Amino acid sequence: MTGDAAADSRALQVTVSQTLPMPLAGSFRCEAGELMALVGPSGAGKTSMLRVVAGLMRPTRGSVHVGSQIWCDTAQGVFLPPQQRHVGLVFQNYALMPHLNALHNVALALLHLREPQRLARARHWLDHVQLSSQLQARRPAELSGGQQQRVAVARALAREPRLLLLDEPFSAIDQMSRRGLYRLLADLRKEFDIPIVLVTHDLQEARLLADRLVVMDGGQVLQQGTPDAIHRAPRNARVADLVGIQNRLRGQWLGRASHDGRGLLRWTGDTTGTDSGPVLNVRDKGKLPAGQPVTWVIPGDGITLLDTAPETTQGPIADQFAVQVVDARFLGEITLATLDVVGMPGVELRLTLAGSKRGTLALGTTLGVRLDLDQVHVMPLRE
Amino acid sequence: MDWQALILSLQLAAVTLAVLLPPGMLLARWLAYTTFKGKAWIEALVVLPLVLPPTVLGYYLLVGLGGASPIGRWAAEHLNLQLTFNFLGLVVASVIFNIPFLVQPVQRAFEAIPRQLGEAAAVSGLSGWQTFWRVELPLAWPGVLSAMVLTFVHTLGEFGVVLMIGGSIPGETKTIAIAIYDRVQAFDLASADRMALALLLLSLAAVGASFFASARIAVRR
Repeated sequence: MTGDAAADSRALQVTVSQTLPMPLAGSFRCEAGELMALVGPSGAGKTSMLRVVAGLMRPTRGSVHVGSQIWCDTAQGVFLPPQQRHVGLVFQNYALMPHLNALHNVALALLHLREPQRLARARHWLDHVQLSSQLQARRPAELSGGQQQRVAVARALAREPRLLLLDEPFSAIDQMSRRGLYRLLADLRKEFDIPIVLVTHDLQEARLLADRLVVMDGGQVLQQGTPDAIHRAPRNARVADLVGIQNRLRGQWLGRASHDGRGLLRWTGDTTGTDSGPVLNVRDKGKLPAGQPVTWVIPGDGITLLDTAPETTQGPIADQFAVQVVDARFLGEITLATLDVVGMPGVELRLTLAGSKRGTLALGTTLGVRLDLDQVHVMPLRE
Repeated sequence: MDWQALILSLQLAAVTLAVLLPPGMLLARWLAYTTFKGKAWIEALVVLPLVLPPTVLGYYLLVGLGGASPIGRWAAEHLNLQLTFNFLGLVVASVIFNIPFLVQPVQRAFEAIPRQLGEAAAVSGLSGWQTFWRVELPLAWPGVLSAMVLTFVHTLGEFGVVLMIGGSIPGETKTIAIAIYDRVQAFDLASADRMALALLLLSLAAVGASFFASARIAVRR
């Protein structure tokens, strides 16, 4: 058996399709050892998706497989209750039992063992998440958010799960304790070779922790892939919005350029008509008809700040533009800058800057930018 | 002091509680955890004995369970049992008029348990029974305890229903509340005094103990 096939046999594969009682549709796969983040605004269906996987919600149509095990398959009438799924679930507010101390909370997931072994095992898992034996004797109300979360993780691990699910696990924890918990999660990943699915609305957190993202909105899976791939090529404007791409711009697709693999894009303002504005020579996937109004994005990496404005607009096909600094926020190590594009009222570029370049960003200064047109990604305005 | 009446009252309260507690808790838990059309009607029916005048409830029980009624006739024919003017009749009546006193507080106690805890228990591998014993019951316990005390004390003191369905047969249906009335009617105020005080102290002790226990549970949490 090859390594890939061995990993396959423990991967999570989910497909859901329902419209009632709430719309929920999409399919995704998470390999063993992989950390996948379900991201989207609140109400996007992330938690519902997790509940389907855990067996707390039965989909009208769908299937959940972990390796060769079928946890749910509506076509075959199979639906295993959560008790039979061996899934570790860390709830958003941890859902610890208020009447039990930390040790007994974990022991509750080990009822198949006799009492002495049960407590020994519970102690082992709490030691594992670095909760001191003093804290193990405390009830949840006497523990901090971060400590409660460690108990919740220990309880989930005590099931020796085939799959670990984390529902907004860091939302109730302050920034300081978060770092320690990120490290814990990274350690767990190395140690347990199982699929891990994390639900979060915090994109930075998702990018920091996850190998792959599944972007959801309105109960639908919109796109999935590595954080980098989604940022470079969001499938539509909504995805670009949801993953927080700062520079979302308007334009009109003019059609194929002279040579292969390129196309022409007219950059239009929000208010101006579609017949004026500079023309950009960008990559063309051959999917768009000429004349189609589009949204286009460019990642921060594709924008270079120049010390001076370009001489004049360089003919019909441009990649350099004059900009004026209208806002610059110094946030410690980085600066967030907002630049007005000269000659295009209402069109702004947003840049995150670090390093010595930041010194030139006095308000009102006119500078230049060069766009790396190979990094421009074009999407139809409505999909 | 009519010791026979006091013991009979205590027996009636204990038996009532024993008979009502298991089905009452099931009903309360079911009402707490499920929503369906017409649930409000069932809840209204549960509260009805609380708002009806005891004599009205007693009258309907007497008519409904008496020897001439279908239920009374059926019980006499098939079980050889009489359901009025004896201890059994008192138990049946007492169970019915105590339904709201037991079911309502227990239902509120179950409703107060966050749903997520049950889900967390299921994901942790606990069966329905294990969840009930290890999670729900400990968390609902203060409510259950006060419902039990309320039912017990309420049975000790009930007068109207008991008189309607049981009459006043010494050793069979003459409870302490009826004995007190009996003594007052006979101008034996000294006896009435002692029994009334006994009932007052007993009730106060029971309610006080339940509040004390609930407060201790609350502090421990």
